[in-house]
Amino acid sequence: MFKYILRNMWRRKTRTILTISGIVVGIFALTVLGGLSARLTQQVNGAKVWFSRQINVVPAGESLFGGAGRYLEISKVAEIEKVPGVKVAVAGIGFPRENGGGFFGPPDLIIGYDLSRSERSAELLELLQIRDGRNLGEGDQGKVALGATVAKKLDARVGGMVTLKGRLFQVVGIYQPTLSTADSFAFIEYQDALDLFRAENPYFQIRDIAGSINVLPEPGVDLEELAARIEEQVEGVKAISPKEAEAQISQFSLIFNSILLGIAFVALLVGGLSIINTMVMSVSERIYEIGLKKAIGAETRSILFEYLVESAMIGFLGGAIGMLLGLLAIFILNRLTQANQVTVFAVTTTVVVGPVIFSVILGTLAGILPARRAAGLKPVEALKGD
Amino acid sequence: MIKIENLSKIYRVGDIEIKAINDLSMTIEKGEFLSIVGPSGSGKTTLLHLMGCLDVPTSGRIFIDEVEVSSLSPSEVTRLRREKIGFVFQEFNLLPVLNAVENVELPLRYQRVSGRERRRRALEALSRVGLENRAYNRPTQLSGGEQQRVAIARALVTQPVLVLADEPTGELDTANTCKVIELMRDLNRETGQTFAIVTHNPMVADYTRRIVTLRDGSIYSDQAVEEKELACEDGDLGI
Ligand SMILES: Nc1ncnc2c1ncn2[C@@H]1O[C@H](COP(=O)(O)OP(=O)(O)O)[C@@H](O)[C@H]1O
Ligand SMILES: [Mg+2]
Repeated sequence: MFKYILRNMWRRKTRTILTISGIVVGIFALTVLGGLSARLTQQVNGAKVWFSRQINVVPAGESLFGGAGRYLEISKVAEIEKVPGVKVAVAGIGFPRENGGGFFGPPDLIIGYDLSRSERSAELLELLQIRDGRNLGEGDQGKVALGATVAKKLDARVGGMVTLKGRLFQVVGIYQPTLSTADSFAFIEYQDALDLFRAENPYFQIRDIAGSINVLPEPGVDLEELAARIEEQVEGVKAISPKEAEAQISQFSLIFNSILLGIAFVALLVGGLSIINTMVMSVSERIYEIGLKKAIGAETRSILFEYLVESAMIGFLGGAIGMLLGLLAIFILNRLTQANQVTVFAVTTTVVVGPVIFSVILGTLAGILPARRAAGLKPVEALKGD
Repeated sequence: MIKIENLSKIYRVGDIEIKAINDLSMTIEKGEFLSIVGPSGSGKTTLLHLMGCLDVPTSGRIFIDEVEVSSLSPSEVTRLRREKIGFVFQEFNLLPVLNAVENVELPLRYQRVSGRERRRRALEALSRVGLENRAYNRPTQLSGGEQQRVAIARALVTQPVLVLADEPTGELDTANTCKVIELMRDLNRETGQTFAIVTHNPMVADYTRRIVTLRDGSIYSDQAVEEKELACEDGDLGI
């Protein structure tokens, strides 16, 4: 049966190949973007975990990702710590590790945390799992704890030295990979971060400011309620609860997934129409043969099935080839960016299977109309129609 | 076997009515070997299509083995065709993407006969028409006469009680025509299958045992014929 359908497809080699090529292009794009989206999802999920156990306090009018260029007075830390339910508040400041980096994905960041205010401050970093060495802690001036990706990039060892913005830091710890952006963070002491920042921006003499303040709750305190309380009692701040953080992060990935959906839709339209076109032509060409089959006893549904399978097969071939080429592209691109310790694409089951299923369904749906036309032909009309 | 009562088939083309079959009645007994002749446009093909349930009459009734065809549902009609009737058309009988034996297997496939059994019976039918050595050739690699013999093999592989042939020798030369008609007559004698053959060719009609002549959709004459022995020149046909 399949052999027969394949032979039928092959009668118009050029046309079949062109149709399949159309699908290949669409599915290729879908696979590559799917890989990008899968990687983004990994990062988003990692970020959600990081933000799920803390509250992020930012200047009023800012979001999780900054952007409006406002800072918080360092005095806000003490104010926040007075709010009932707050265990510890840690001032933080972040800026890119290298200027102009981050073409693929987010840039590496240097994050300075004010861990000297209290012993408990170090608990913030305990939200990340340490892999080698120890966490950054109080009084760790001149020391750095590195996310997994940035550690690899800098070829860092615990106890060894790395250079950040021209200054040497001793590596005290390296974290487990989280697959999130935290993997490309270098955590240092707040004062060290300010020094680095000032050295690079001599005309912007900042002191006693924070980009954001990370808040850990007392045990058993509801983070959503606590966030509301902080906003109520501390002026000029926005307290981003885990729920809101998740919403903001999701919003970010939503934009990307919308683009993906758009591409899928275009692939659907172009691929679907070209399959319909090909199948309508095939049916027209084979009207006499369909009549012949019916005359010798073919049932309506076996004709229907035959043309649906042929159409699904075009979808499958286009989908499988497109997906494989997409994987190849992902493999090569990941290889190219590996030198920078950046993974741009992730390959998950969905990335591999999704596009193929998508195009088989597409092919089947596109085949419905022509197949019904073929199946509905009256034998005598088909036989005389030639 | 087949009883036809007051059969009419009217085509409407715009305002014009064409009575392709006009109040025609006849009976065909089991095991008959008859030809249907008549000028072009006299309704031969239409009649054959109606008998083969490929088309529905405007009025009148057709009984096949006592069953009235118009009382059957479409899928029952398909089944009746599949089990009781074999067709041979004038040309383009075979699916070009299938080889000879696969073409012969096709009706068995529709009867859901298992693959092995299908192949066995198809090869048997091919050898009956003398083409066992062409089993794996595609139609384009076969001569017109060979193609028609493959079509006959396909028409008889399901052992139908009725074989309907529409100008089966229309595209063949005299030698091949003779071979094809001889084959059909031998089958008729051996198996008792009923054959109704539409033809233009007086030689073909001459070798049947009953000649029904149509004119303007009605029976003009219906005569029994003396049985003649065929004298095909053997040897140069590669059989
Ligand atoms: N589908 C059709 N639509 C209109 N007229 C038709 C159709 N099929 C056959 N006819 C007409 O019916 C008549 C009988 O046709 P047909 O049975 O093919 O004759 P024959 O086979 O004897 O040459 C002819 O006049 C033909 O033009
Ligand atoms: Mg005719």
